[in-house]
Amino acid sequence: MHLFAALSLLIPTLSAVAQDSSGPSYGDILQGFADSSRWLTYSGDYSGKRHSPLTQINPENVATLRPVWTFQTGTTTRGRGFETTPLIDDGVLYVTGSNNYAWAIDARTGRRFWQYRRNLPDDLTYGASAPVNRGFGMLGNSLFMVTLDAHLLAFDRRNGDILWDVELADYRTGYAATGAPLVIDGKVITGISGGEYATRGFIDAYDPATGKRLWRFNSIPGPGEAGSETWPQDAEILARGGGGTWMNGSYDAELNLLYWGVGNPNPDYFGDNRPGDNLYSNSLVALDADTGELQWHYQFTPHDLNDWDSNHMPVLADIQWQGQPRKVVMVGNRNGFFYVLDRVSGELLLGKPFTATSWAREIGADGRPIVLNDGSKGCVPDPWGSTNFMPPSYYPELGLFYLTARETCATFVPEEPQLVPGQASFGGVVFIDGEQGSGALRALDVQTGELRWEFTYPSPTFGGVLTTAAGLVFAGDHEGNFMAFDARSGENLWHYQTGSRIWGAAAMTHMLGGRQYVLIPSGTTLTAFALPER
Amino acid sequence: MMSSPPASDKQMTFFPLLILCIVLISASSVNAQQTNPLASDPRAARAGGVIFRAQCATCHGADAKGINSIDAPDLTLLWTQAGVTENRVFDQIKQGVPGSIMPAHDFPDTEIWMLVSYLRSVAVAGSTLAFTGNRENGRTLFVNNCSECHRLGNSGGSLGPNLSNITSTRSQAALRNAVREPSDSLRNGYKPISLRTSDNSNVLGIIKSEDAFSIQIMDNKQRLRGFVKSELISSRRDIASLMPEFSAQQLSDAQLDDILSFLNQWR
Repeated sequence: MHLFAALSLLIPTLSAVAQDSSGPSYGDILQGFADSSRWLTYSGDYSGKRHSPLTQINPENVATLRPVWTFQTGTTTRGRGFETTPLIDDGVLYVTGSNNYAWAIDARTGRRFWQYRRNLPDDLTYGASAPVNRGFGMLGNSLFMVTLDAHLLAFDRRNGDILWDVELADYRTGYAATGAPLVIDGKVITGISGGEYATRGFIDAYDPATGKRLWRFNSIPGPGEAGSETWPQDAEILARGGGGTWMNGSYDAELNLLYWGVGNPNPDYFGDNRPGDNLYSNSLVALDADTGELQWHYQFTPHDLNDWDSNHMPVLADIQWQGQPRKVVMVGNRNGFFYVLDRVSGELLLGKPFTATSWAREIGADGRPIVLNDGSKGCVPDPWGSTNFMPPSYYPELGLFYLTARETCATFVPEEPQLVPGQASFGGVVFIDGEQGSGALRALDVQTGELRWEFTYPSPTFGGVLTTAAGLVFAGDHEGNFMAFDARSGENLWHYQTGSRIWGAAAMTHMLGGRQYVLIPSGTTLTAFALPER
Repeated sequence: MMSSPPASDKQMTFFPLLILCIVLISASSVNAQQTNPLASDPRAARAGGVIFRAQCATCHGADAKGINSIDAPDLTLLWTQAGVTENRVFDQIKQGVPGSIMPAHDFPDTEIWMLVSYLRSVAVAGSTLAFTGNRENGRTLFVNNCSECHRLGNSGGSLGPNLSNITSTRSQAALRNAVREPSDSLRNGYKPISLRTSDNSNVLGIIKSEDAFSIQIMDNKQRLRGFVKSELISSRRDIASLMPEFSAQQLSDAQLDDILSFLNQWR
């Protein structure tokens, strides 16, 4: 006893107590998958490819994959459940859950070190309708999480203490925040939810040490600003134009550009009072990471009337394009098209439908979709879209882009809404034909946009995708199955019923103690899989 | 039974009932998200105590100090947790605590507020004694002796409890004792353990979580670490708190007062 007391006396005098646990630096995050024991940002690296180099689990042995542990949140969840991607460093998983719970979990056993629960107000707006969260950002010993009452929090990752807490926007008017903050050099980047309300979206940068806001990009321009010519010249309409930025973005450190999707204009379905293209709604924006200034944009769905937010993970890759090396950004969009853009200039290289949508079948020479059916001639994709925010994956060696496609049939009936702060203003109703829906995991050739293979699901599906360099695709479906496929052939090699639909979440993978783990969130559980121990 | 009870007894049985009625009437429009409507009524705590002993004491103990073996927390320390408000305690009583054995309770709101009042009354709270030390001196002493392990606001370590609000939740006497005899008042989450791992190295830390097969700790370098028990050579729990015992020779009473005064007003 006295020996330990004496030993512990030394603790305060040690100058470098935190040396072993100082946490990842920006340089570490920039290295992406270089350290296979880590997964430090939402997609594993800044590119959004969600393609891990790990190969211990491979097409030959994946059939023996088995659960190692299950973590249960111990909470009830309305509607959607876990949408998070856990981060891991030094054997500890950092996980966010519904209703702004969060945990640090022992990656080997699934046992928790600490739990955090935010005391949320009872008059949440958007946050009450979708009480989800997609994950932490991490830097050093700090974690960053956004909240349903539209705050950004910094945590001490060792015990879940709050280091600082800043308000992003007033939740009472319709704002919330659900994405995983993106940590880059000296900045924490976050977007905002609220496009179903009379709000105005933005993308913010904050100082990781203090929470001081460094810049804000408004996704709907102000009067007189570039892009405002695509709206009525009415400051009031611009100030509630929507354009949520609720999904995460990607980052190219060399170009120092952030790539971020912007959501629907508001009201969602009723556009008579907002004639014009309504920039930068339904666009991909490329922002200077130092200043937040817009470098270029591409609008996928001008003057959207179908709630086809463009809040998807932009996937960055360096590919050979018509014989030339090209830095591209790829997006599988809610409107049913797969896009390849030059990410330096924003030039459109490819836009091809990946679903059977009759909305449009081609992109015109001016880069705009040639709309054949605005919904009045039979059905178009429902408001959840031909795909959604569930992460896709890109496999560089195969040149294949994997995404979850949704084949749906919806009829939109617009109606002018009453605009009341804090109340949703969709502007109409949607009729979805429940008989016609289906889902599929699809592999697209990025050179042509053509379908290489697909695996069909019985219902429109919201599960995301992970690929690994062993030649595997991991995906989840609406019926609760977590599955592995041969990345080349599409053959289903393994499945496991998790007990709840996999919604918005994609798997992550890491090494620990010589074993490769694959983790999938589902409902209110997080399950870790590995090969049997020899 | 038929004979009239003495007048004094009659008064005693009648009086609590009267209190209850008054309290019930005055709180009839209680809203779950308001502040405690009974906060200014000293009788509410007594009424809450009656409910507590009948409904809560099985798990939390008749003295509200909790029962470790079933993870029922010491409710006299309830208000020492960051972010705890009367509303939140009300909600936890009403809705239960997810992931624990604490169930939801369908008590009338008024009775829940009585329980909140009772829990306030048994809280280990700061005394009204003035802080007379030298704050600046306390700041230096804190930085040199305490901040490596204890957080204050936005800086400091994580091995020990966050001290940002400690003087409003613990008495000066309790805090002095915690510095002189840290092993006397070990909270869950800070209990020490010494592990000998499979590679024959010693790890000293505090227990964060544990099941039959594994243990999760923060080691004395403030690193979260998980271990599978079957892979450990040995473990010892009968060890002193990782916090050093500061004797009067190492830290005089006056210096300790300086630190407490600094903690009381560090912002």
